[in-house]
Amino acid sequence: MKIWNFLKRLNARGPAATAFFALILGFIIGALVIIATTAVVLNAWRHVFSSPTAIFSALKVTFDNVGAAYRAIFIGAVGSPSAYSHSITTGQGWTNTIDPLSETLTYATPLAIASIAVCIAFRTGIFNIGANGQAILGGIAGAWAGSMVHLPTALHIPFTLILGVLGGALGGLIPGVLKAYAGAHEVIVTLMLNYIIAFFLLYVTLSTALQQPGQANDISRTIDGSAVLPPIFGTGSGLRVSYGLFIAAAVVLFGWWFLNRSTLGFDFRITGANPHAARAAGINARRVIIFVFLISGGLAGLAGEVQMASTTHFVDGGFLIGSAGVGFTAITVALLGRNEPMGIVWGSLLFAALNVGGRTMQASTGIPLDLAAIIQSIVVLFVASPVLVKEIFRLHTTTEAVQLATKGWGQ
Amino acid sequence: MKKTRVLVTRVFFVTTITGMRVELRGVTKRFGSFTANNQISLTVEPGQIHCLLGENGAGKSTLMNILFGMLHAEEGEIVIDGQAVRFADSGEAVRRGIGMVHQHFMLVPVFTVAENVVLGFEPTKSLGRVNHRAANDMIHELSSRFGLDVDPDALVENLSVGLQQRVEILKALSHDAELLILDEPTAVLTPQEIESLMAIMRSLASAGKSILFITHKLKEVQAVGDVITVIRHGEVVGSVPATTSEADLATLMVGRDVSFSVTKEVVEAGPAVLSLRDVVIRDDRGISVVNGVSLDVNGGQIMAIAGVQGNGQTELVEAIAGLRHVESGTITLGGRDITNKTPRQILDAGLGHVPEDRQRDGLVLSMSIEDNLVLNTAHFRPFAKGWSRNLPAVSSNAADLVERFDVRTTSITADVGSLSGGNQQKVIVARELSRPLTCFMAAQPTRGLDVGSIEYVHRQIVEQRNQGLGVLIVSSELDEVLSLGDRVAVMFSGQVVGVVDPQVGRETIGLMMAGAKPE
Amino acid sequence: MSVETVEVTKALKQPHGRSRVIAGIIVGLGLFVALVFGLGSSGRAKSQFTFSPVNLSSNAPWHLGALTVNTRGWNVVLGVLIIALGTEVWVRRPRAPMLRFGLSSIIFLFALLFWACRTPGPSQIPFVNLTATLAGSVGIAMVLMYGSLSGVLCERAGVVNIAIEGQFLGGAFFGSMVVSVTNSFLYAALAGALFGALLGWLLAFLAIRYMSDQVIVGVVIVTMMASLSSYLNLQVLTPYPNFNLGNTASTTGIPLLDKIPVLGPVLFNETWFFYLAVALVALVSFGLFKTRWGLRVRAVGEHPKAAESVGINVARTRYRNVIMGGAVAGLGGVAFMATQGQFQPGYTSGLGYVALAALIFGRWKPSGAVVASILFGLSAFLANGLQSYSVPVSSEIIGMFPYIITIAVVAGLIGRVRPPAADGVPFKRS
Repeated sequence: MKIWNFLKRLNARGPAATAFFALILGFIIGALVIIATTAVVLNAWRHVFSSPTAIFSALKVTFDNVGAAYRAIFIGAVGSPSAYSHSITTGQGWTNTIDPLSETLTYATPLAIASIAVCIAFRTGIFNIGANGQAILGGIAGAWAGSMVHLPTALHIPFTLILGVLGGALGGLIPGVLKAYAGAHEVIVTLMLNYIIAFFLLYVTLSTALQQPGQANDISRTIDGSAVLPPIFGTGSGLRVSYGLFIAAAVVLFGWWFLNRSTLGFDFRITGANPHAARAAGINARRVIIFVFLISGGLAGLAGEVQMASTTHFVDGGFLIGSAGVGFTAITVALLGRNEPMGIVWGSLLFAALNVGGRTMQASTGIPLDLAAIIQSIVVLFVASPVLVKEIFRLHTTTEAVQLATKGWGQ
Repeated sequence: MKKTRVLVTRVFFVTTITGMRVELRGVTKRFGSFTANNQISLTVEPGQIHCLLGENGAGKSTLMNILFGMLHAEEGEIVIDGQAVRFADSGEAVRRGIGMVHQHFMLVPVFTVAENVVLGFEPTKSLGRVNHRAANDMIHELSSRFGLDVDPDALVENLSVGLQQRVEILKALSHDAELLILDEPTAVLTPQEIESLMAIMRSLASAGKSILFITHKLKEVQAVGDVITVIRHGEVVGSVPATTSEADLATLMVGRDVSFSVTKEVVEAGPAVLSLRDVVIRDDRGISVVNGVSLDVNGGQIMAIAGVQGNGQTELVEAIAGLRHVESGTITLGGRDITNKTPRQILDAGLGHVPEDRQRDGLVLSMSIEDNLVLNTAHFRPFAKGWSRNLPAVSSNAADLVERFDVRTTSITADVGSLSGGNQQKVIVARELSRPLTCFMAAQPTRGLDVGSIEYVHRQIVEQRNQGLGVLIVSSELDEVLSLGDRVAVMFSGQVVGVVDPQVGRETIGLMMAGAKPE
Repeated sequence: MSVETVEVTKALKQPHGRSRVIAGIIVGLGLFVALVFGLGSSGRAKSQFTFSPVNLSSNAPWHLGALTVNTRGWNVVLGVLIIALGTEVWVRRPRAPMLRFGLSSIIFLFALLFWACRTPGPSQIPFVNLTATLAGSVGIAMVLMYGSLSGVLCERAGVVNIAIEGQFLGGAFFGSMVVSVTNSFLYAALAGALFGALLGWLLAFLAIRYMSDQVIVGVVIVTMMASLSSYLNLQVLTPYPNFNLGNTASTTGIPLLDKIPVLGPVLFNETWFFYLAVALVALVSFGLFKTRWGLRVRAVGEHPKAAESVGINVARTRYRNVIMGGAVAGLGGVAFMATQGQFQPGYTSGLGYVALAALIFGRWKPSGAVVASILFGLSAFLANGLQSYSVPVSSEIIGMFPYIITIAVVAGLIGRVRPPAADGVPFKRS
C-alpha cells in the first residue's frame, strides 16, 4: 500500500502517473486477450465446476500462460536473470547475456528519432500520421545514396544520413504544402501518402535503377560498407546496436533544444497552443506548417535511414510495412511520452522492449507478436483519456485541461 | 396530425392565462473556490419587467443559466407560482414556461427560421416527418400577434443580428414562455433596434408576460424597467424602483462613487501617424462591412471610435493589424504603406495592438507570463541569440514589466490562464507598450475588467498619449469613448458618420451612432 | 435585406482562383485525352466495346453486339467532351465543380481503356466490357457507401469517425468467422454490425464522456483493430481454418429488372448487401433531412449549445449516432468480406479512409456520398482493370490512383465544402 500512496502522490505531480497507470491497464487487457485466445486456459476454465480444486488449477494454468508470455517479453527485451548472474559470476558469455538489451536499443534507435519527429508536429498542433511513409522515403533515399554513390566512410555516412533526411522532408513537404495552401486536413493526406509510398517502395525496389542485380524480387541493392552505421561493439561482436544510438541521442537533444530553447520552436508551440494568437503575434502560419512538416518529415526520414543503415543495409518491399512500421509506433510513443523529449526516451525504450520481447514471446509461446501492438494501442487509448484512467484507479482528479492535439475538418 | 393541433391550441391558450410569478430564494453557485452567486433572492411578478443590473462578471449570466436549468445551484431554490421546482436541463425549464434569449444566440445558422423556432418541439406528420406547414403557420400567427415580423423560410445566417434576436424571442414565445429572460440583448443592436426591442418588451409585458432583463447599461434599465435588482460580486446589493437616479445605480453597481472622467493634460497634437483612406473591408461571408473609411490618428492624440458593435469596427481593427484583407483603400503607419502587409511587417512598423478578444488573439493561455510577454518579440534582441532564445533576458524582461504594470501574480512562470481578466489585459498592454511604437491601437480595452483595472488601463493609455504616441481606441462603451477620446469618430454601418469633439455631448454622439450626420 | 442575400449567394460560389485551377486541371485532362489517346493513336486503330455480362451470358434474354469504333476519332470526341466540362467550370464557376471533375476523370479512364485495348495494339484483350467494368466497380462502391454513410451518421452529429477502417476490419473478421460457422450471411451481418457498434460505442464513450481527441482515438482504434484482427487471425483462424472458409455471398436477381441490358446485371443482380446499402442510403437521407430525428441530429452537429438549450440531449444524440455509424461500418466490413472472401489481416487496405474522402466529396450528404462512392469505385476498378491491358505504366503506379484522388478531394483541389460546424469539437455542458 505504500507503493499505492506513492503513486497517488506521483499523480498529483503530473501526467507521468497517467502513463504509468495506462501501461498497467494495457498489460491487464493484454492478459485478458491471451486468456481469451489460448485453448489450454479456456479448457481449464470450462471444467472449473467439475471439482472443488478445479478453480485453483484453472487459475494456475491462467497465470502460467500469461506469466510465460510476459516473462518471455521481459527476457527477450532485457535478458534473463540467470544469464546475468552467470555472466557476473564467471565473467563469461556477456555477448549472449546482453544481446536482448542490444536488440531493444537497436529497435529503440529509429523509434526515438521518429517519435521526436511526431512529437514536434504534435506540439505545433499537427498530427503527422505519415511519419512511417516519410521514414520509408528516408530509407529509400539512404539506400540509393549508400549503394549508387561511392565515397569514403567519413563522407559516405553523413551523405546517406543527409539524403535520408531530404527524402523524408520531401515526403513531409506534400502534406505541408497541401495544408498550408489548400487547407487539406493533414491526417487524411498523410494516411493516403502512406499507401502511395508503400506502392512507391514496391516500384523502386523493382525498378532497374535500385533493384538488386540478379534479383526478380522487390529488393534493393545493398549499401556499401562505407555507408553502414557500424555496430558499437564491432562487427564481430554479434551485437547489433549501432552508432545510430548516438544519432538518436543527438536527435532527442535537438528536439529538446528546438522545442524549449529555439525561437522557431517557440513559434511552433505558440501556433500549436493558439493559432489565432500566433497570427496576431506576426507568426506566419503557412511558414510554420511547411517548416514543421519539413522538420518532422526530415527526422522521420532520418529514422528510416538509420534503421536501414544499421540493420538491413537494403530496403525491400516490406521495409517498415505492417507491424514493422516504426512510424506508427512512434505516434504511440509520442503520446505516451506526453510529447516531451525525455518522456519519449522512456516511451521508446519501453515500446522497443515490448516489440523485441514480443518476438521472443512469439517464438517461445506461440502467442503472436501482434499482442505488443494491441497493448500499445490500448495504452495510448488510455493515455489519450486521462480522466478515465483516474476514474478507474479512483485517483484524485486534478482539473487537467483537455488539450486537443488535432482539429476537426472545420479548420 | 394530432401533434399539430395540440401545438396550435397551446398557442391560443397563452393569451388566456395570466403570467407567472417566479421567485429565486437564496441561490448559491460555486465554481471551485470561486463563488459566482451568493444567496441571491429576487421575485419577478407577472407582467413585470424586472431588470438585473450588474457589471460584467458580477454573476448575472450564471444566475440566469441556473434559472434556465443549464447550471445547477448548490443551495437555494426556484419557486414558480408558489411551487418549488428543479430543472434537470433547460428543456424542463422551457416546458415550465421559461424562455431565454441568450447573449450568444442559440440559433443554428444553416437552418431556416422555422426550423430554429420549432427545434426540440417539432410538429410532426406521419413517419416522424417535420410538419413545415404547421411550423410556418404558427410563426405567422405569433409574429402577427406580437408584431415580430420575420420570414419563416429565410436562412438564419442570412439575417441581420436584430432579426436573429427576433427569431430567438419568437422561439421562446412559441414554447409558451411566461417568463422571458433577455441576457444582454442590446449589446449587439443599433439604437433603433434597441428602441424596437424595448417596444416589444413593453407589449409582451402588457400581455402578461414576465421579463427578466439583464444588462449593465443604466439608461436602458431606466427606460424600460419596473423593478431593478443590482448585483455585485455575486450578491444582491439592492432592489430599487426604476426611478432611481443613474448616479445612484452606478454607485450600487460598482460599490463606490465612480467618475469616468479621466484627468488629461492638454497636449498639442502632432502629425498624423496612422492614416486610413477609403478603406473597404469584407467580412468572412464576403459582405462588405467597412465601406470607405478615412481617418487620421495624430501623435499625442487619442482617437476614439464609437459605435454599436457590429458596425465594422472589429473588421477595421483587424485590417489595420494585418489580420484581415483590405479590399481597397490604403492604410499608412508612420508614413509607410501597410495596406495588406503581413502582421509581422505591421508590428515591425510600430503598431501596438490590444485585440478585442484578448484570450483568442492576444495570449496563449497555456504558456507562462514571461513567454506571453515576448510573444511577438521573441525573434529579436535581446530575447534571441541567433536561433536560440535568450531565456535570462526573457525572464528579466518579465520581472521588469510585471513590476511596472502592476500585474498581480505569484510568479512570472505561472500560466497566463491562471490570471484574472484584468491582469491578463495588463500583460498584453505591457507587452505592446514595451516595444518602440508609432501608434497604439486598443479594441474594447476594458471590456470585462474590474473597476481598478479599468482605471489602470485608462491611465496607461493617457500617459502614452501625453508622451506623444498616437492612440486609436475602439469601444462600444460610450462613457469610455467620451472620457478618453480627444476626438471621437462614430461608425455606423461600415462608415464614419463624423469625427467630433467629445464635448458635443452624449446626446449628439448617440444620434450619430444611429446614423445621423452631425450638423 | 435582399442586397445582403445576393451578396451571400455570390460569396458561396467558388472563389475565382480555385475555379480556374480546377478548370485548368480538367482542360488539361481533356487535352491529354485528345492529343495522346486520340491523335496519338494510329488512324486505323479500332477499339471495341462489348456489353454481354460474363455471368449472364448463357441465359441472357438479350444480346447486344459489340460496338467497334475508331480509336482516334472516339478519343478525340471524349477529349473535347472533357474540355467542354472544364470550360463550363471556367466560365460559370459552379458551386459543385466536384461532379464535373469526377465525370472528367471517369471519361479519362474510359478513354485510357479504349486506347489500351486498341487493335492493332500491344494488348492481349482487344475489347472493353462495359457491363463487367461497371459490375466490378459496384463491389468497391458498395463498401464505400457503407463507410461514408457511417461517416455521415457520426459527423452530422459532430463526431469525427476516423475509425471506419477499424470497423471495417472488425466487421470483416467476425463476419467471416460467423458465416463460416453458421453458413448464414444474416448472422454474419448481425455479428459484424454488433461489433462495429461496439467500436462505435468505444469512440463515443471516449470522445463524448472523456472528451478525448476524436482523431487520435479514431486512429488508435484502427491500429488496435489491425493488430487485434491480425493476432486473432494467427491465434484462431490459422489453427482452425474452418472459421475462415471464405464464403462469398451469392447474388439475388430482382425479377424483370435484372433483364435490363447493361443496368440489369450491374444494379439488379447483386448480393443483398448491395440492396441493403441502397436502402440504408435512402433511409438515412430521408431521416436526416425530413424527420424530427434528423433535424435534431443536424442541430447537434451544427450548434450543440443551441440544441441543448431546447432540451435536446447532445450526448445521447451523439452516442446514438456514433453507435449506429459503427454498426453501419461494421456491416460494410461484412459486405466487403462477402465479396472478397477469406479474411486476411489488413485487407481493407485503407478503404475506410477513402470512404471518409467520399463523405467529404459528397458534402456530408448520403446522396452525395453515393455519387462519390460510385466515382471512387469506378476509378479504382478501372485503374486495376488497366493492368490486364499491357498499359505502359507499372501496376504499382496505377495502384496509387485511388489514394491520389482521395488526397485531391480533401485538399479541396476540386472545390471546398463546409463541414458541420461542430464536427470534431467536444461538447462540454456549461
